Amino acid sequence: MPVWNIKMGRPPSVSLRGHRARYCDIVQRIEQQARWGAHAHRVLAMATSPSQTFARQSTFSVGNKFHQLLFGEAPKRTRGARVLPRMIAWTIYLTFAGAVLLILLPRPFARWIALFTTIAGLALGLIAFVHTSIADLAHFTTIVRVPWVPALGMNYHLAIDGVSLTMVLVTGISAVSTVLFSWDVEHRQNEFFFWLLLVVGGCYGVFLSADLFLLFGFYELVIVPKYFLIAIFGSTNKEYGAMKLTLYSFFGGMFVFAGILTAYATAGSLDLNELSRFQFPGQLQSWAFPVLFLGFAVLAGIWPLHTWAPTGHVAAPTAGSMLLAGIVMKLGSYAGLRVAMNLFPQGFQAWSKWIALFAVIGIVYAAAVALRQRDLKFVIGYSSVSHMGFVLLGLATANALGVSGAVLQMFSHGVIAALLFAVAGRMIYRRTHTRELDALAGMNLSGALPFAAFTFVIASAASMGIPGFSGFAAEITILIGTWKTYPLAVWITGAGIVLVAAFTLRALKQSFFGEARPSVLMQEGRVALDLDWNEQQSITPAEKCGACLLMSATLAVGVYPKLLLDRIMPAVDAMRFLK
Amino acid sequence: MSYLELLKLASTEAVVVVTALVVLAIGLTTRREATGVTVATAQGDQNVGGSSSARTNAICSFIAALGLAIAIGTALMLPRKATLFSGMLVITPLTSLFKIICMALAFFAVLLTKSEKSLRHPGEYLAILLLATVGLMLLVSSEELLMIFIGLELLGLSLYVMVAFDKTDVRSAEAGLKYFLFGSTSSAFTLFGISLIYGMSGITSLAAISEKLATVSVQPLLAVGIVMTLIGFAFKIAAAPFHLWAPDAYQGAPIPSAAFIASGSKVASFVVLGKIVLVGFAPLHGDAAWHAMVAGWSPVLAALAALSILVGNFVALAQSNLRRLLAYSAVAHAGYTLIGLVAGDREGFSAALFYTTTYAITLVGAFGVVALVRRETAGDDFSNFSGLISRSPMLAGCMSIFMLSLAGIPPLAGFFGKFYLFSVALRADAGHGLLWLVAVALFGSLISLYYYLIVLKVIFVDEPSLAIASSPDHLSPDLLQRIAVAVLAAVVLFLGLMPDALAAGLLAAMP
Amino acid sequence: MITLGDYLIVSGILFAIGFAGVMLRRNLIIILMSLELMLNAANLSLVAFSRFRVSPAGLPNYNAQVFVFFIITVAAAEVAVGLAILVALFRARQTTDVKDISELKF
Repeated sequence: MPVWNIKMGRPPSVSLRGHRARYCDIVQRIEQQARWGAHAHRVLAMATSPSQTFARQSTFSVGNKFHQLLFGEAPKRTRGARVLPRMIAWTIYLTFAGAVLLILLPRPFARWIALFTTIAGLALGLIAFVHTSIADLAHFTTIVRVPWVPALGMNYHLAIDGVSLTMVLVTGISAVSTVLFSWDVEHRQNEFFFWLLLVVGGCYGVFLSADLFLLFGFYELVIVPKYFLIAIFGSTNKEYGAMKLTLYSFFGGMFVFAGILTAYATAGSLDLNELSRFQFPGQLQSWAFPVLFLGFAVLAGIWPLHTWAPTGHVAAPTAGSMLLAGIVMKLGSYAGLRVAMNLFPQGFQAWSKWIALFAVIGIVYAAAVALRQRDLKFVIGYSSVSHMGFVLLGLATANALGVSGAVLQMFSHGVIAALLFAVAGRMIYRRTHTRELDALAGMNLSGALPFAAFTFVIASAASMGIPGFSGFAAEITILIGTWKTYPLAVWITGAGIVLVAAFTLRALKQSFFGEARPSVLMQEGRVALDLDWNEQQSITPAEKCGACLLMSATLAVGVYPKLLLDRIMPAVDAMRFLK
Repeated sequence: MSYLELLKLASTEAVVVVTALVVLAIGLTTRREATGVTVATAQGDQNVGGSSSARTNAICSFIAALGLAIAIGTALMLPRKATLFSGMLVITPLTSLFKIICMALAFFAVLLTKSEKSLRHPGEYLAILLLATVGLMLLVSSEELLMIFIGLELLGLSLYVMVAFDKTDVRSAEAGLKYFLFGSTSSAFTLFGISLIYGMSGITSLAAISEKLATVSVQPLLAVGIVMTLIGFAFKIAAAPFHLWAPDAYQGAPIPSAAFIASGSKVASFVVLGKIVLVGFAPLHGDAAWHAMVAGWSPVLAALAALSILVGNFVALAQSNLRRLLAYSAVAHAGYTLIGLVAGDREGFSAALFYTTTYAITLVGAFGVVALVRRETAGDDFSNFSGLISRSPMLAGCMSIFMLSLAGIPPLAGFFGKFYLFSVALRADAGHGLLWLVAVALFGSLISLYYYLIVLKVIFVDEPSLAIASSPDHLSPDLLQRIAVAVLAAVVLFLGLMPDALAAGLLAAMP
Repeated sequence: MITLGDYLIVSGILFAIGFAGVMLRRNLIIILMSLELMLNAANLSLVAFSRFRVSPAGLPNYNAQVFVFFIITVAAAEVAVGLAILVALFRARQTTDVKDISELKF
């Protein structure tokens, strides 16, 4: 029970008070700005307020349409510091351009192109992170808005707030580390990185879209490359796993489509900012919300519909699992927050307790199942479902703290799951050709692969929610939020956390610190670990870089969660369902 | 009206007819030499006859393509609006647009013909194809039942011949016979329906019929007439349960014929069906909403749509031949497109036309890939496609674009098409009455995704089967055809990224 | 006195007979004949409508009669095409029975 004590031992009010103070300050500044009108930004040394950005949208001309598409709003007036955050739209373009280049250019360039595009994406995210003022991130601030199909009211409309910036960051981090961990993919290399970049680009697109059609387009775009990534490059039972994952995703997509069409047909607009001001009839909300949210939640791995996730993760190549757990599952929860909850707040109020119920069941059930798994990847796969349960629970709390915690958990789990899958799939499996815990237990891997062992310890600690890692910060925020709404759920979740700790420790112990039992190896006829342990099998620099990137991300956010929470909380607080 | 003016307004059709005659003449004259050679060698040396036939084929294809290009040029110069013989032929932006689309589709079918080795009389084949194109143009540009009937028959009779054209393949004749029997039965239904509608309204012009129908009460005879008319068109667009010919025709026919049936014939049929129901039968719209069904043609079409979507998608699941799979998916897509007509209105019509146009482009491209694969591997079952990515990455990429567009995956044209159709259907009335139909369609497209993915799995994931890998015909680059396929794939992608290019044009062209 | 209704009934019966023939008969030649019957049923009803829809000037509505001429032409073309396909099939199969034509199947 050590974890439990650690978690509950620390007085939660400290971090809460900190958040509150910071948050009140932000709100005051925003209110002040609103009072002082358009000149406020000069006074406060802040840039244009979101309302001004909206006002400028109507005055676009065809001439600078392209410029606008590439460099964002109001190209002439903005100074360098303003252009930089707007450049975040380039994450999408660069990633897709990289994908196109991968088809055209010959093989030797493939991995470098992939690395450069993903690093560029991460860099753009970080630039935006540094240069965008927190006040701008408190609203869904438009970056680009170009008419696309005027007859149907579709715009190419990108926007950013604290939540999407967080998600863009985690996408960048996961993408870079994924490419690093796929450095030695040889089989159909160009194609591999092509599909990979399509997934990454689609994820950037979803996180930045402010138009419902655009968002749904990117959302669906992600699914098919995932299929190929798994079916071509996967391992165990890959075609089944890929097809199951794809069909589940599209099953969810079908509900999403229906929900989006309903919203569009009722409100007559596809603009998320307009839609989140539109008052949908209560009766419509009560059925449209569950349809839409369920559709998204399938991708987030909500409990009864989670079964695609473990099989998919196991079948996928390492890069596939990392992307899948790291960012693709977040698409579901992010879109559930951004679209379903924001559009249909009354429906959300009516259904939130059911979401909480399913989330809690998911946390406990997946953790219990993970405890029984023999395949290391299945363990991690179920742990993903369990962690995503926290995200859904956080969303279901319907208060700023819980929802912010959910967003933080999306970030945290994105990093941690990528790390876990990297260790299991790349560092261990590639060298031992087995993921069976029993077999690994006899290999004394901690001696053979010290760096991998170190990484896995860090990842496990973060996954269990040890303080100092991002998992703790996120889960504690969620639980405090939950305490206000569903006290009972906190107690049940507590049991879930114990289970998470249990299966994580079990996996850690068996995989790296098992006692040597040669008899097991002999019985099953596995001679997995070569006796002559040569240079090629030690951890490569690329793998070390990827692991360090992910570890530093989880540590940074774990030690100083305000880094992200400062940006997330105002954005969450501006959302309609809280009012 | 002077004949000169008539010729000016009907110049597009005239150019295509003249081209057809020229091609026919060339085919007949050069054919004589080829026959002489073949007879002299008593069919012994296939090579002599083959190469001569290939040359004839190339010349005829070139002339046919040129003629179509010129005809497209004349279509661009047509006046914005004109009416000939009180609605027998009308020229509006819509008809001009679809004339061009139909000719472009025929153009690509001609390109497919060029590499079709099994056609022994390319001149005659191309002439019939061009006549069928004239049929399409008459259908598109008429607002009068007599002219529509003549267009339908011209199209139908040409297509029957085109399907049965490959005399070396017994399946071709069989497919032709089935197509002919179903087709002429259904056109008899249409004709009888037209005669009843004429009897009730006393006139054959669509606009006048609409005026008449608005004043009279609905009689049983009129209802029978309308339903019988719709049956004929349901057959043409291969809507279930009138789809039974489609799988056989798609599989048995020479590939250009199948592509033409799937594309041009379908587009024109939807245009004219839309005109008939939305202009001619406008007063009898009825209501297909779930909670308030009102008798009229729209519940009939809604039922056809739902049935087509379900039947097409479920039966397609069981297919192992790509052309048959495309046929059943065509049934399902006819169902989706009908939703637009059920929704009615300008928006619904333009959504349906957008969908059917992009669908036609996609299918011509898909058949182009099938033709190329068939040339290399002598078959079009799934096994012939296995490992296509390693043999020809370009074809595999194009095929994946076509399949994913059919499945409705962004950023391809099919995705926007579906969104447009379904959103129009939901917006059709305030209470979301057509939600049931949209739900059926969404369910259908979920199912369809499975079999499209299976096709892609065969292409991308499966290992090439050995028999194909060692095929000697492996290196036979047909550059022109490959370019055509790539162009079509690019168009599908472009219409997905910039759907406004077509959608705005359609909306502007709507009356 | 023979009324419009009588003509329509006859035409309906002819159409039904034709359709039944197409559906039930096995021999392709007879199916072709039945198709003709269906087209001629439509002709009969068109002519009947034309005859009984007299304009105030006492003239029948000639639209339908023009229509009938076109239908007769089309029917002839249809038979030509049908027979051509039939011959092609007969050469390959030596049969005119639809039961035997089953190369393409579900």
